[in-house]
Amino acid sequence: MRYTYLYLDPGSGTYLIQVIIAAVLGGMMFFKNGWIKIKSFFIKPKPGNDLKEEDVEEKESL
Amino acid sequence: MQDGLYDLLTKKNWLVSHVEIFDAELQFADALIILPRQIPIITYPYEWSFAMWQDAALLTLNIAKEAIEKGMLLKDATPFNIQFLNGSPVFIDTLSFEIYLPEKPWVAYRQFCECFLASLLLQQYCHADIGKIFTLYPNGIPLEILISILPKKAKWNLHTYLHIYLQAATATKTGKTKNGEAATKFTKQKMLLLLNGLITYVARLHVKKAKTTWDNYYASTILSDEYLQEKTKLVKYFLSTISYSSILDLGANDGHFSLLFKNTATQVIAVDGDANCINKLCSTIRNQKIKNILPLINTLHTPSPAIGWNNAERTSFSKRIKGDVVLALALIHHLAIANNLPFQFIAEWLAAMGKYLLIEFVPKTDEKVQLLLQNRQDIFTDYTVIDFENAFSKKFKIVLQQKITGTERILYLMEKVIF
Repeated sequence: MRYTYLYLDPGSGTYLIQVIIAAVLGGMMFFKNGWIKIKSFFIKPKPGNDLKEEDVEEKESL
Repeated sequence: MQDGLYDLLTKKNWLVSHVEIFDAELQFADALIILPRQIPIITYPYEWSFAMWQDAALLTLNIAKEAIEKGMLLKDATPFNIQFLNGSPVFIDTLSFEIYLPEKPWVAYRQFCECFLASLLLQQYCHADIGKIFTLYPNGIPLEILISILPKKAKWNLHTYLHIYLQAATATKTGKTKNGEAATKFTKQKMLLLLNGLITYVARLHVKKAKTTWDNYYASTILSDEYLQEKTKLVKYFLSTISYSSILDLGANDGHFSLLFKNTATQVIAVDGDANCINKLCSTIRNQKIKNILPLINTLHTPSPAIGWNNAERTSFSKRIKGDVVLALALIHHLAIANNLPFQFIAEWLAAMGKYLLIEFVPKTDEKVQLLLQNRQDIFTDYTVIDFENAFSKKFKIVLQQKITGTERILYLMEKVIF
């Protein structure tokens, strides 16, 4: 009833696909991180990066 | 459990808590007997809304991730290991963990794909109602069958392609060299990439929206505002005369009446056959942060059957779902006329589910009944209020009854009698 998987144990039957997926996702992550690094090199971080604009104004008015 | 995984998961309410007990009858050498916290209402995946499926899938993945960090592996990924308690999913199979070996891939990966991903994708690409198909494939929908049902465009999503299509294509390849060793070693980093990838993917899935007869039923097709207001008032009044803890709302639609009791009932179970309505109710209770309403999809004239080995593994809907008060509002004509069920059968079925029954009788003269009779011969000579009262009197005592102003419909509060 399990068609093509009838005689395969669940671990080995999906070993290859799990390796492929991990490689694809790992590759995507590598390029994403690389892109973020390139972007941050050209674009200077705004002052008070982790504060919202309103927060900055609020802080300044104090 | 290894390195405090049990404490961590129970603290987050992700895993059902348990106590160790001693039972002389069950005890054998070195055995540890655990008694888990009892879940009051057991539901099955084929009764869940899309959001419940999604929550259950995400909980499974998050537990798998936490387990890895603690040196354990979640070896099962079936939705039957999840139940819903106070509006949140909880993992109930405490024995689903084993020692994690980083060189091994996720043994439950295919099960996760065939159970969770398959059902979610069918609801996203095909129809919101298709979750019921899981009754037929409780061990997971085989990828070959899933692919034959999914539309071709599903392939164009990278994650769907990898987890479903490519997996089906590589299913017979073991990824091992001739001497039986794995060609590439699996690692913890790869495992976390896989789990994190699945979490992001599952969280982005969404249910297919379709217009159904029951969509906006109250807003657009209901008889009149006055009728709804009057009925709401009567329902509230009738229930204020009795004491109850739980309510079972059968034919709940988008939960208008279930929501009335969010503060007075300990538990409300809202059941409807239309997945869109239940999905809508699910988002309402989520937005309002309501914990005591449990929405379920079920076709009431064919409720979920008893399934599994010897038909005894999972009980039927009618045996499992109960309430102190059963609401059957604007339901009787669908059962009696659209599904040819005699009043006596309906009364027996309802009597088995609760002590009190709040039922609306919709007479033949009603426009909704006329609509049902439009394209068929009227063979329902005994569909009268007298026959209705006679049949229900065999199981119930009529406590209150009141005609709903502006209609011919009658609302009854009945109490079960034991003969």
